[in-house]
Amino acid sequence: MDISRRQLAGVVLAATASAQAPPKPQPEAEVEDARARQRASAQAIARIPLPMTTEPAFQFKA
Amino acid sequence: MAEIAPDIFFASISELNAKLRAKEFSCLELTRAFCDRMERIGPRYNALALSLREQAIRRAREVDSELKRDRTRGPLQGIPYGVKDLLAVQKQPTTWGAKPYAGQVFDYNAHVIERLNKVGAILIAKLSMVELAGGGDYRTAAASLTGPGLNPWDRTRWSGGSSSGPGAAVAAGLVTFAIGSETSGSILTPAAFCGITGLRPTYGLVSRHGAMALSWTLDKLGPMCRSAEDCALVLHEIAGADTQDPGSAGRSFNYTPQYGRKPADITIGYMPVDFEDGAEPAAQPALRTAFETVKSLGVKLKEIQLPEFPYGALVGTIIAGEAGSIFEELIRSGKVDQLADPHQIAGLKSMLDLPATEYLRAMRVRTLVKQAFRDLFLNCDMVLAPARLGPAPKAAEPLDTPGPPTRSRGGLIPGGNLAGLPAISLPCGFAEGLPVAISLLGRPFYENQLIAIGNLFQKQTDWHRRRPPVGT
Repeated sequence: MDISRRQLAGVVLAATASAQAPPKPQPEAEVEDARARQRASAQAIARIPLPMTTEPAFQFKA
Repeated sequence: MAEIAPDIFFASISELNAKLRAKEFSCLELTRAFCDRMERIGPRYNALALSLREQAIRRAREVDSELKRDRTRGPLQGIPYGVKDLLAVQKQPTTWGAKPYAGQVFDYNAHVIERLNKVGAILIAKLSMVELAGGGDYRTAAASLTGPGLNPWDRTRWSGGSSSGPGAAVAAGLVTFAIGSETSGSILTPAAFCGITGLRPTYGLVSRHGAMALSWTLDKLGPMCRSAEDCALVLHEIAGADTQDPGSAGRSFNYTPQYGRKPADITIGYMPVDFEDGAEPAAQPALRTAFETVKSLGVKLKEIQLPEFPYGALVGTIIAGEAGSIFEELIRSGKVDQLADPHQIAGLKSMLDLPATEYLRAMRVRTLVKQAFRDLFLNCDMVLAPARLGPAPKAAEPLDTPGPPTRSRGGLIPGGNLAGLPAISLPCGFAEGLPVAISLLGRPFYENQLIAIGNLFQKQTDWHRRRPPVGT
């Protein structure tokens, strides 16, 4: 099989890049699953009727 | 040199303190014996994060010198204890149970450690924990720098999280008490699974200065001990105002059993399903017996309904909003990938995408939760429920492996945490050879009432005195 210099350089560079690659990143799918769980939580919370006057619970007193 | 008998490792705080003052053994002898035991047995349960033998022995010598001069500092003087590895100990590694923080060292002590130092308690070890207190929604017991927390009652089972080390160490008699933390269940769960007594104080009662933050509005520190009485003695010392903790309630806690109300004047709410067939089948007999025991104390029991809210979703969203901000640098730097649990890594990464409106909506609904619990406590003084619906799961299986079906809703842990309420977990029997526990949830700052009922319950039972097959 004939291979041009340019093609050879491409193969060598790709192999080098592959050898130096950082550890395999976490599959984006797992992060997407976590986002989906977050959206499901948001939907469950959104079903609670919330008067406009209700302020966030930042104070905890007896 | 006095010999430290095996019973000493399971003695109460008061018993140990009395023996120290009677000079049955010195504080140095006691400390050495506990350090030996911790270093020998702690690793069996992956409970030991760091032995603090040298500094403990130095402190023990000081306590002996004080005792020689009859200088007493209260019931915790000379008592060996451990802290969850999310508390800063000056010039010692504080890992938060997570690889990215393995080399972290602070130049100060956490506020609770300073307080315990002042009353002469002896810190002998830092105890293991779920990485970052599990804030990224972990799914495996192995989500820890020290490996899975193993249960002293059965090493194939989990010791619970995220205060895994404190739970196992107290149960195995490696320390007399420990300090754990709870954002949503991290004291009550390991206490229940390991058969010890855990107290989650009211939000703001104990300063969190020097503790890892996971959620500013949910985090609490509290005692994990062998009995309700011991929890009271520890809480008495660690509670109090602290200007260094913005969440500090500015209140202290005085253990005052002498001023307790009569049981007949106390109304305890409960949901019948919890003590009929609501929990896992194996746990039902112990829970039913515990319910009858509570009834026999002479208290009034009243059926209640827990307010309806999506508790898990609320806690998850609030932690996501706050932990996402706290750990933003860890996440953006990519160091988050060094954590042990992929589920937790993904959970932390997703936190950066949470819209502010969703966090704030959760916090506004939380205001309704607080109001609903205030209303609930117009009808009763405290709520009785299973601490967990079954015994500890297997350590090698994913924590979301479905267990036996249950009818109980089990919202008391997240609900109580959202409302900032105190709770206590009390061992009440066994299922499959593993501890089962009940819990009592009270009004804000009513720890004395919870402890009083806990004391009465523990006078009628001996579950809190049972010891796991640890050996020597």
